[in-house]
Amino acid sequence: MFEYLNQAESIKNIVTIGSMVLLFIGLFGLLTQKHFIKIFISIAIMETAIFLFFIGNIFNKNFTAPIINDGFKNVAIMNDPIPHAMILTAIVIGMAVLALGVSFAIEYYKLTGNTEIDKMNEMRH
Amino acid sequence: MSSILFIALPLLFGFATPILNKFGKNAVVYTSTFMQTFLLYLAFTLLSSTTATIEIISIAPPLGISFVQNEISLFFVALFTLLMTLFSLYYIGHRKTNAYKNETKFFILLNMLLASSIGLVLSSDIFNIYVFFEIAGISSYILSAYTKSSSALEAGLKYLITGAIASVFLVFAITLIYLHIGSLNLAVISQGFETLPFNIKLLISILLLVGFGFKVEIFPLNFWVVDVYQGSTSLINALFSGIVVKAYLFVFFHIVYLFLPSGEFSIFLVYLGALSMLVAEIAGLRQTNLKRLFAYSSLGQVALIFTAFAMQNADAVQAALFIAFAHSIAKFIIFLSITSIQKEHSSFEIETLKELNSPFIRAIMLIAMLSLLGIPLFAGFIGKLLILKSLAVSSLIGVVVIIIVASLIEAVYYFKLAGFMFTKSEKKEKLKIDFSQKLVFSILAFLLIVIGVAPFLISGFLRESATVMLDNSAYILTLIGGN
Amino acid sequence: MSIKRTLPTSTISGFTLSAVLILTFLKILLENLPSSIHRAGDELLKLNTQEGVANAVTTVVVYFRGFDTLGEIAVLFIASLGIGLMLSENSQCEIKAESNFMLKTASTLLFPIITLYGVYVMIYGHLSPGGGFQGGVIIASAVLLLLISHKDFEVPHSVIVLLETLAGVSYVLIGLIGLFTLDIFLGNFLPHDVAQMGMLVSGGIIPIIYIIVGVKVGSEMSMIVQNLIKRGENV
Repeated sequence: MFEYLNQAESIKNIVTIGSMVLLFIGLFGLLTQKHFIKIFISIAIMETAIFLFFIGNIFNKNFTAPIINDGFKNVAIMNDPIPHAMILTAIVIGMAVLALGVSFAIEYYKLTGNTEIDKMNEMRH
Repeated sequence: MSSILFIALPLLFGFATPILNKFGKNAVVYTSTFMQTFLLYLAFTLLSSTTATIEIISIAPPLGISFVQNEISLFFVALFTLLMTLFSLYYIGHRKTNAYKNETKFFILLNMLLASSIGLVLSSDIFNIYVFFEIAGISSYILSAYTKSSSALEAGLKYLITGAIASVFLVFAITLIYLHIGSLNLAVISQGFETLPFNIKLLISILLLVGFGFKVEIFPLNFWVVDVYQGSTSLINALFSGIVVKAYLFVFFHIVYLFLPSGEFSIFLVYLGALSMLVAEIAGLRQTNLKRLFAYSSLGQVALIFTAFAMQNADAVQAALFIAFAHSIAKFIIFLSITSIQKEHSSFEIETLKELNSPFIRAIMLIAMLSLLGIPLFAGFIGKLLILKSLAVSSLIGVVVIIIVASLIEAVYYFKLAGFMFTKSEKKEKLKIDFSQKLVFSILAFLLIVIGVAPFLISGFLRESATVMLDNSAYILTLIGGN
Repeated sequence: MSIKRTLPTSTISGFTLSAVLILTFLKILLENLPSSIHRAGDELLKLNTQEGVANAVTTVVVYFRGFDTLGEIAVLFIASLGIGLMLSENSQCEIKAESNFMLKTASTLLFPIITLYGVYVMIYGHLSPGGGFQGGVIIASAVLLLLISHKDFEVPHSVIVLLETLAGVSYVLIGLIGLFTLDIFLGNFLPHDVAQMGMLVSGGIIPIIYIIVGVKVGSEMSMIVQNLIKRGENV
């Protein structure tokens, strides 16, 4: 079994399975939990799982970081810089949306005292 | 004159607003309106050129981001800037009696909404589309919770949670695309998408459908729409149904046409759209609240546009563009007139229409409702006729039946509304409409009547736009030069 | 006496359906692990040397995909605006307990060091891992430390608004200058010799934009953190 773990592809398998487990934990939390903050945490867990899946699968362990220093200029064995840029942007955007959501939840609780998503019935149906 | 100005100028205005605020609120409002008028002029100038061009940002495609200016994207840009300029004009009249608190922040959000809707339509890079998606989303969440009443906050919360879930699915789809195809440019992805194994193609398509489906309001992912429309003020509802949802529709189908050019899943999408329309119209029958009724009507019409786009041939896409144009203008009229009525009455039940005492508003709302129903001589008729004809040509008679049934149901409640509006009963005193608001309503109604009577004015242009939207090889040629 | 609970059939069928879906989904993902195909990032790495910047990730974030960074700055700006709008000004949250003098002294001593570290990460972002976002968040965490340990510390509102406005406006103006001089929005119009790679002044507009991004992110995160502490009630 440990020879299997030594191969390069097995890391990608493990990362995929692990991040999908995290995604399903987040999805389960999203579908069953009722409190606002728990829903926001579930969404954050789902986002983290996807970033983990992406970075884990794009990583090539024989290559090095995409930074040129001390005359080391061989770009052929550097890792890909685009996923880092994408994930950076996605992390900041996800955090901004969730921070906004938390402030909505705080104001809503101050006005109505309600924190459960299925008891939100300000609007008549 | 480059199309980057459509994004850069509203962003510049938004960032510089705290300094402009020192000169007073009026400075902010009038600068914003002036800038939007300038963008409208720019849109019509760009429309007059006939070749498709690209605007490069930082580095040439396929390695960098660029904006593609062809007939279809410039059509939507012109429509959005026109609607936003009219909205600002309406608001200038509205603020004399009912100004919002923190008006400057309201204008920042409006401009960000405009910039992101235009960016969604012009951009040619899938991650850039995701960023604009988020900008439009976050401005919409704050705009719907703007008045901070408990129903507005509930609307904002529901919108935010569904929007965040949609972004998660969209990011997942983008990461899978980058992992398997290796580029973020729409042209390169469209070339590489056909070579993927069927499993991954299906998975990415499902993720994109779910991710966009929340925003494009198809069944069953449209449970949030009606509550959000009820909680937000009707000023904001006009923006949502007139500008934002059209941008999302265009982006979704642009991606569908590029990735799946042979129409593999289009039958499924057509039936999904027809089902959404039927469900939305049936649910709208028993509504007694005016805003919820028009929200269900909006859902039905958007589902009709979805069905039309999903057919993936030039006649149907031309029909979709006609319906989109007529629907945006008609819904703008309706939601803006609800705002004018709201000044006098506090509740939104349908019965309050009985007390409406303004022949101008009654005439305008009647014109908008007749256009939405598809009565001939109004702009909505030609779109419905074209889509029914195109469905019949493709032998999808079931969908034709569903659409006709849904339109009849919609007619039932519109006639009920019109009956309330025109009953002779106790009226309150006459509603005063400001001159700028009358101007806005007249321009919108005039457009509906003119296009209804003489659709040949824009049908050639819309036919060209439809062909351009479906023409993958021309798009790829413009972007990466015929590889 | 034990209480027997039998699961209703709907739960069992729901579980099996979701298990089947999950396993199919995992199978699709695991079978199609991406091989090392030629990706756009490799081309960008080769182009990076022309810009004269040592850190390729910085070049990608700021220059090659600088428009996405502009959009992300806009999202943060709108979010900070929204949080300031939502949390009403007239509910001030009072931290009732006075902090320990050790906490106060230590945080006052640590604040300039953390800020200096944040500024270092920001300015050297194009030479080593780091950059504007990272540096801005470090500065915001220093502000958070002060906010938690001192009862009546408040970030001066007008200074933050001025910094934020100047940073945002200059980002868009740099892009527009690129549009007017080079006909490319956000083009690199300052000199960027390859020979300067590794020096502090290299890469044209890239370190300038990243410093602007850092200032904006730092000030906005400080505002968000302060609003959430000072104006959220004790929920």
